[in-house]
Amino acid sequence: MNFEERALALQCNDSWMYGILSLPERTASRGVLIVVGGPQYRVGSHRQFTLLARHLASIGIPVLRFDYRGMGDSEGAPRTFEDLEDDLHCAIERFFKEVPALSNLVIWGLCDAASAALFHAHRDRRITGLVLLNPWVRTDQGAAKAYLKHYYLARILDPEFWRKVWSGRFNYANATQSLVKTVEKALPGRKIAAASDKAGDRSCDFASLPERMLDALSRYKGKILLITSGDDLTAQEFLELVKSSREWQRLLAAPGVSRLNLPEANHTFSRRAWRDEVAVGTSDWIQSW
Amino acid sequence: MNSFFHVAPATPFFLKAELGERFCLFYAPPPGWEYRGVLIYVHPFGDEMNKSRRMAAMQARAFAAAGFGVLQIDLFGCGDSSGEFGNASWNIWKRDLAAAWSWLEDRVAAPISLWGLRLGALLALDFARSSENAIDRIILWQPVISGESFLTRFLRLRLANEILLGEAGTEKNTGTNAMRNALRAGNPLEVAGYELAPDMAAAIDILQAAELLVTRCPVHWFEVVAEPGRSMTAAGAKVVTAWKQNGVDLHLQLVPCLPFWATQEIAECPELVLATADIFAEQAR
Repeated sequence: MNFEERALALQCNDSWMYGILSLPERTASRGVLIVVGGPQYRVGSHRQFTLLARHLASIGIPVLRFDYRGMGDSEGAPRTFEDLEDDLHCAIERFFKEVPALSNLVIWGLCDAASAALFHAHRDRRITGLVLLNPWVRTDQGAAKAYLKHYYLARILDPEFWRKVWSGRFNYANATQSLVKTVEKALPGRKIAAASDKAGDRSCDFASLPERMLDALSRYKGKILLITSGDDLTAQEFLELVKSSREWQRLLAAPGVSRLNLPEANHTFSRRAWRDEVAVGTSDWIQSW
Repeated sequence: MNSFFHVAPATPFFLKAELGERFCLFYAPPPGWEYRGVLIYVHPFGDEMNKSRRMAAMQARAFAAAGFGVLQIDLFGCGDSSGEFGNASWNIWKRDLAAAWSWLEDRVAAPISLWGLRLGALLALDFARSSENAIDRIILWQPVISGESFLTRFLRLRLANEILLGEAGTEKNTGTNAMRNALRAGNPLEVAGYELAPDMAAAIDILQAAELLVTRCPVHWFEVVAEPGRSMTAAGAKVVTAWKQNGVDLHLQLVPCLPFWATQEIAECPELVLATADIFAEQAR
């Protein structure tokens, strides 16, 4: 199917943002808004988002991807994924204006953009779907746990690790020190527990990132496709979080939630095969409901 | 800083060119101002382009606020432009710059300069050497010194994924050699998400900054160093000497900053933006 690409300047508060609309000739009523995560701009690492948008547009799905304020070509001061409410709202309003045939949309986000998408989704009824890739739930403790389990375990099982140990090239001092630090974080001792108890008295406004995401998930009524990479600590940390919480498990076991795991893939899906699997997984899922 | 440089919005558009379209972003001076000049921005290679996007935007806005137009163009197979990266070639990229040049020439009657970052700096120099157009000046940000070592470092991104911890020195060398051999045999190679075509690899491999002499306009070289007082690399200093001996009108400035094209998070270097904008401020005095 033919599609055109349109370069847009979008106004958001007192700044201009820049984006690309990939618009099929005959367009579906469900569009995709790609939100950028991590230190990237709208084309994504190794152009993943550009190529994904072209894939979706080629089968009739309109796509908007843009740089939020402070990122890429867009004006304004840099901001974090926790501060994207207005940017997402401005982009969505413009998307509906540019494509009158739209009735609902899916937000697609990788890493912290997945977290931002989840925060925003329950506030806008037009958002009927979320594609969340390797969602970012980073806390020091969770990161350490994921690191311990997946990094050290993988190394201990790796013959190369043992060859190094035997040939005397393994730096015990460094490794032990970093292991101790990691364990301290993963298994908070009395000191840490006492400190967090104190903070607990006034904790309402300072809910942790995983708690706020859980809250956002419980308010959201649309569908979700969760895509995870096997070779990615961010994804492992998220999956550990889910494993450790009945509430997360209950919400993700809902019939509206689908999952796709790429066991070999890294955080940014940096091979054509992985990128294509994500693109096809995304379009199949969007067209399945 | 942002409000200081705030001007009319840049105009994003697609420019028709060989094999499709190129995404362009044009920054104009404030409404009612006369153009003091225009620049074409030549972006770096691979994800270095993504990482430096913010700095390119900051610099372009600073230029626009000072009365200069800036045309940013995504080369074929890069950014939002048509094509796959694996089908790009050095010569298509040079012709893209020619297309950008014509677009500017048709619209603005002001001297045109080139501004290139990293590998884009070498592309700008190579374009300047083969073009008959009158180039006002050339601005280089951290030019790549040797295409060969640049390519080796790029290939190592693939090795890093392949070799656990990547410490064995000999393995590294045979690794990139083996990759070069595969490329020479005509096989494309996927590196860090980019498909590297044999022709592209060969073109980069033979690039030497020292040989890309441009003597018909001033060349302003900005080199980022880790801290004040640090000197540039020995390899860079050699190029500076070679250029000066061969009559290049070279102006070198060292700016202490993070290497924003390669940092993990997006880094800004306002010092570099101010120093670069100053070139033209001096011209006006």
